[in-house]
Amino acid sequence: MDITLRHTRRADGVTDAVRDLAPVVLGLAPFAMLIGVTAVRSGLGAGTGVLSSALLYGGSGQLTAITLMGSGAGAGAVLAAVTLVNARFLLYAAALEPHFRDQPRWFRWAAAHFVVDPTYAMVTRRRDLEDPARFRRYWLTAGGVLAVAWVAMTAVGGLLAPVLPASSALDVAAPAMFLAMLVPQLRARPAVVGAGTAAVTAALASPLPSGLGLMCGIAVGVVAASVTPVARTSETSGSPS
Amino acid sequence: MTLLVSAAATYGLRVVLITLVPAHRLPAVLRRGLAHLAPAALAALVVTALVGHQGATALVVPGPMHLALGVAAVVAWRFRNPALPVLAAVAAMIVVEVLS
Repeated sequence: MDITLRHTRRADGVTDAVRDLAPVVLGLAPFAMLIGVTAVRSGLGAGTGVLSSALLYGGSGQLTAITLMGSGAGAGAVLAAVTLVNARFLLYAAALEPHFRDQPRWFRWAAAHFVVDPTYAMVTRRRDLEDPARFRRYWLTAGGVLAVAWVAMTAVGGLLAPVLPASSALDVAAPAMFLAMLVPQLRARPAVVGAGTAAVTAALASPLPSGLGLMCGIAVGVVAASVTPVARTSETSGSPS
Repeated sequence: MTLLVSAAATYGLRVVLITLVPAHRLPAVLRRGLAHLAPAALAALVVTALVGHQGATALVVPGPMHLALGVAAVVAWRFRNPALPVLAAVAAMIVVEVLS
């Protein structure tokens, strides 16, 4: 292969983003459809579900908002619950900030909207996004395509809601997707300890009001991982997928 | 309107440590912890979805979702394609529902 072509392909974040994103979109489709189905069955309508996908762009926060709004909760309660559930985006943004530091102002303000579980997990699995232009192409492609697909699949869920049988099969899609992203990261001891501690803490704290148990699990897991000595269980984490 | 306000709050969470108070100004100990965020966050998300609000006992009381996520974990360990565990979990849930 021509050396210039090889260099161009290596520098092209778009191709890598599409390659990384394709299986993620496929895996997230049932979750997005579940949001459309839930919006219709809670009486809010498919339009509200689609709007939530475009504006909130975060599945668990959307499900929280739709469920609460469907049950007649007030705006303050919805706002508080959604903020708690989505508080992890604050941490993701902090972790991703080095990639945004040398970017244009428009990118830092606009592309922050794409900070969400799958895009964060995709970036943490790559070690070749140090170049700002490459990261910018990768992030805009991954976040933009995922957003469009997310909205579209929510609409599909809303349209199919009247004909889909009552089933909890779609409920398992989101945790299975997170599990699929987690397992490849469990290579070093701090990651294993952090994940295990976070899981146990999140379970113990789950009776707390919405979002707090999740945040407790994340916080305790991060602390546990931080104090765990780095002793490799196998190869160090993170070959580009 | 409720959705718009919630979306604005969520956007604020996303943008504040990128643009308004850049995270590199955070204390070093916090920045070191962020390197370990992904596994902790993903594990907490999985378990929160699994147990709901039922507490830790829900972890050890087996149900269809436990089985489906067990299947997903094995598939995720064996194959690195993120879509396969999801499809396997959904298929497992459908099989359990059909059989029960």
